[in-house]
Amino acid sequence: MTNKPQNGKIFIVLIVALLTTMVVSATVGAADITVVSSLKIFLSHILSYTPILGIQIDLTDIPSSHIAIVSNIRLPRILLSFLVGYALSVVGVAFQGMLKNPMADPFIIGTSSGAALGAAIAIMLKLNTAFLGIGFVSIFAFCGALLSTFIVYNLARSKAKVPVTTLLLAGVAIGQFFTAIMSFIMIISSKDVTSIVFWTMGSFSSRGWNHVWIAFFPILIGSIVLFFFSKDINLMLLGEDTAENMGVEVERTKKIILITSALMTAVAVSVSGIIGFVGLIIPHIARMIVSPDNRILMPASGLIGGIFLVVVDTFARTIIAPTEVPVGIITALSGGPFFIYLLRRSKKMI
Amino acid sequence: MKKSIEVKDIAFKYNDEMILKKLNVAIKENTFISIIGPNGSGKSTLLKTIARNLLPQEGAVFLKEKNLQSYSAKDLAKEMAVVPQTTEVNYNFTVEDIVLMGRHPHIKRFKREGVKDFEIVKEAMELTNTWHLRDRFINEISGGERQRAIIARALAQESKIILLDEPTSALDIHHQIEILDLLKELKEEKDVTIVAVLHDLNLAARYSEEILLLYEGEVVTIGSTEEVITVENLKKAYNIDMIVERNVYTGDLQVFPISAKNKLNKRCKKSKLLHIVCGGGVGKDIIQSLYEEGYDLSIGVVNIGDSDWEIGRILNLKIAEESPFSEISEEAMKKGSQLATEADAIILTSIPIGKGNLKNLQIVKEQLEQGKTVYFYNEYKHVTKFDYTNGDGIKMLEHLKYLGLLTLNCKAELIKVLKG
Repeated sequence: MTNKPQNGKIFIVLIVALLTTMVVSATVGAADITVVSSLKIFLSHILSYTPILGIQIDLTDIPSSHIAIVSNIRLPRILLSFLVGYALSVVGVAFQGMLKNPMADPFIIGTSSGAALGAAIAIMLKLNTAFLGIGFVSIFAFCGALLSTFIVYNLARSKAKVPVTTLLLAGVAIGQFFTAIMSFIMIISSKDVTSIVFWTMGSFSSRGWNHVWIAFFPILIGSIVLFFFSKDINLMLLGEDTAENMGVEVERTKKIILITSALMTAVAVSVSGIIGFVGLIIPHIARMIVSPDNRILMPASGLIGGIFLVVVDTFARTIIAPTEVPVGIITALSGGPFFIYLLRRSKKMI
Repeated sequence: MKKSIEVKDIAFKYNDEMILKKLNVAIKENTFISIIGPNGSGKSTLLKTIARNLLPQEGAVFLKEKNLQSYSAKDLAKEMAVVPQTTEVNYNFTVEDIVLMGRHPHIKRFKREGVKDFEIVKEAMELTNTWHLRDRFINEISGGERQRAIIARALAQESKIILLDEPTSALDIHHQIEILDLLKELKEEKDVTIVAVLHDLNLAARYSEEILLLYEGEVVTIGSTEEVITVENLKKAYNIDMIVERNVYTGDLQVFPISAKNKLNKRCKKSKLLHIVCGGGVGKDIIQSLYEEGYDLSIGVVNIGDSDWEIGRILNLKIAEESPFSEISEEAMKKGSQLATEADAIILTSIPIGKGNLKNLQIVKEQLEQGKTVYFYNEYKHVTKFDYTNGDGIKMLEHLKYLGLLTLNCKAELIKVLKG
């Protein structure tokens, strides 16, 4: 709460780390591109959005294939993985605070199961065509995520209130139910099993600028909304009654957070599949190294989550190239041990 | 004085169980009111209803003559702060962070805390003696410190009403007194209205100006401490006999429950009439015991306001009394002699003897000379100094023993001897 000077430093460090990660990530890969040329391409993209400065970057000494690879393949992938990591981590912070539950993640209210079911249906129905540049699988996943959240919310609601415990339990119940339907679909159309399983493990392969643009605004606006409620979430950590007594409209705040988070998660899931672990672990890591104050924690967690997913996706596409490893596998493999290390080192309760 | 909170016809039920039954309560401004009552009487429910954490099924609460429901959360928080029963926080916020959260209703959504907010927080923390804890984590300080920090947070809210739900139940006696002293000070200096649910009757009697006594969701009585803390009222709510007396040191009312067991064997009247010479509180224990045994009692001569006198009055005994802090007058002595003469036996307790009550021994002497049985119940036999008359008292006592005063050192023995 108190605006300690080190908080400013933390954000500078995080932003520098983010930019470095992005440039390095754009350099790594099958094509032999140098750091300098990827940096140049980056800058030229940034400057093309700020024509007022009138600065031109000379790209003539870089092979046009390299420019194409960085601009059309690697850059959108990097940006998208950042956006998804950012969204999941911000929502994770909001849910853990709102539900006062350290086990909460963006998928806890049934979002992932709904999305997976939607995707499975689309895959089963062979809806390979695209709509506005977005595949039907994504659209179905988006609708599934929203539908399950909507059902969970209405199941949990009693009169004007949404008790947190009921919300969690309804989320788990609906999640199991939807997963069961998805498993059933996998049984009856067994040739689709591989694509469904791959989708549920998350991936950024062959995602382009259209995905970035679709994800960008909902996630940006959603995170700004959540950020405006970060102080209310701080107060809600002390208990809902206490928060109410201190002037927070608890039920209204919960509704806004739930709806905003559900939309952000649905968007993230529809462009990337289900990437577990990020929304659970990154908020804890950020809480340990930054502060439990949600006003600082939320943006910090978003940045850390974004950086983390950019790094993870870089590994995903290079470790056993040309085969892509699903991102969800690497997040769990790397995030788990690191989190345990932090837990043991700080020996603090979460 | 103006009404601050008005509870009108409130009914509240959990499922089908009525917790509050058509409750009506008015709370004045700038008072210290305690809500007392046995478990399940609806104390906390009432407090939560006033805090708007619970919505009553019937009736309404009015704050400054406006329905509580018509306040926005922030406006209500500016009027009223709440210190909940459990104050544990599981996240490592610093104490200052927690107190600063109390400023929430005063800060617009898109603004941060300003210099003024930090000043108010500092003042609240200094008042509650928590400023030195400001950089400590809230989950690492002691229960008493945390309670003070939460009160500081309530203060930072700058509301004129503070509601507290059993603020001292988890604290040791030192911290209990510390918290209640603090609340009293806030009431005096900051014109805050304190509404507290308290479990401890003695603390409630000692600190509050007014008391609301609840029993099974209904108001037994509400009023000044003196009016509420009476044997009849407490018996209605707690279903147990109590002795109410005035503490010699603090002058506050004090409650002693008499064990619930004794209530069962009904007091059977005995025909013997006993007169007890007491004073200064040395007699209250034996008076209670003999009263429970079923004897008719009279006491005297005692000063009005003395704790022995209080008990005599509560139990409705015949009393030879004298005005407070005065020497026994001829008239009182005559009354004392008369009561002693009427009695079948007399019990002299180990009263501290001073110039003022030497006449009590005189009465005993007369009775001994007339051949009446007098027991000297020396409960405080290890206390040697009870003579404040430079030897006259001791001399008199020796003389009484010579005349046939029977010394007994324990209560059981005395009761046995009396039964014959």
